[in-house]
Amino acid sequence: MKLDPAIRDQVLATVPSLRAFAISLCGNVDRADDLVQETLLRALAHIDSFQPGTNMPAWLFTILRNLFRSEYRKRRREVEDPDGRYAETLKSHPEQGGRVEFSEFRAALAKLPSEQREALILVGASGFSYEDAAAICGCAVGTIKSRVNRARTRLADLLAIDSVDDFGPDRATRAVLARGARG
Amino acid sequence: MMKTGKTSNLLPPAANENRAETWDAMGRPINQRKTEVRLGREVQARIGQQLRAMYDDIVSQGVPQHLANLVRRLGDQDNGAK
Repeated sequence: MKLDPAIRDQVLATVPSLRAFAISLCGNVDRADDLVQETLLRALAHIDSFQPGTNMPAWLFTILRNLFRSEYRKRRREVEDPDGRYAETLKSHPEQGGRVEFSEFRAALAKLPSEQREALILVGASGFSYEDAAAICGCAVGTIKSRVNRARTRLADLLAIDSVDDFGPDRATRAVLARGARG
Repeated sequence: MMKTGKTSNLLPPAANENRAETWDAMGRPINQRKTEVRLGREVQARIGQQLRAMYDDIVSQGVPQHLANLVRRLGDQDNGAK
């Protein structure tokens, strides 16, 4: 049986956002595109378990997130310092997946624990409700809320924008402030 | 935003109050973190903007050709379902 074109179009329409989520999780476009491809293969092989009329983005994000988590766990066992390696990847390719202007923000995002990062992205960028994000991550709504809060607080610290006074300066000044905070 | 001149500052945190063992991921007392969160409404708006700008930058790249081809190819073939 051929795939219903309406379902196919829903899948295609979700790909750009799915890809943005994957890149935000991985920090690496090539790895993210592999992850999206694997997600699509798995989703289309099990398309019968998708109930038409329900939330296609949430369904695809759940599959991608599960694939990412199992791969992440595997890497953790294989590599002693996965976070260090990950940070190096970012440093050597700061322009990947977006323009250079986001490199500072992306680097700060990469320093968050992955559970906080994914919660923040799902709610703050993908536009999922706390309930949908909780379903995608397989945890309680309250857990998502606290992860998002901690992620925002940590990002503010990493970007050295602790108070409103720090907003005025231009980008160069903010970079200096950020360096000071790191030092 | 630090309070000064309070004798309680001279005591180790655990001696200040019963809940002092409640720390956040940054190693700060929870009550201090809450104050910062309140102060940071504009900071949070700024972070939200940057996050969405970064994300939307990728979304605007659309569907890479090889992924579009993959979905169309798999959609056109018999998937063995009833």
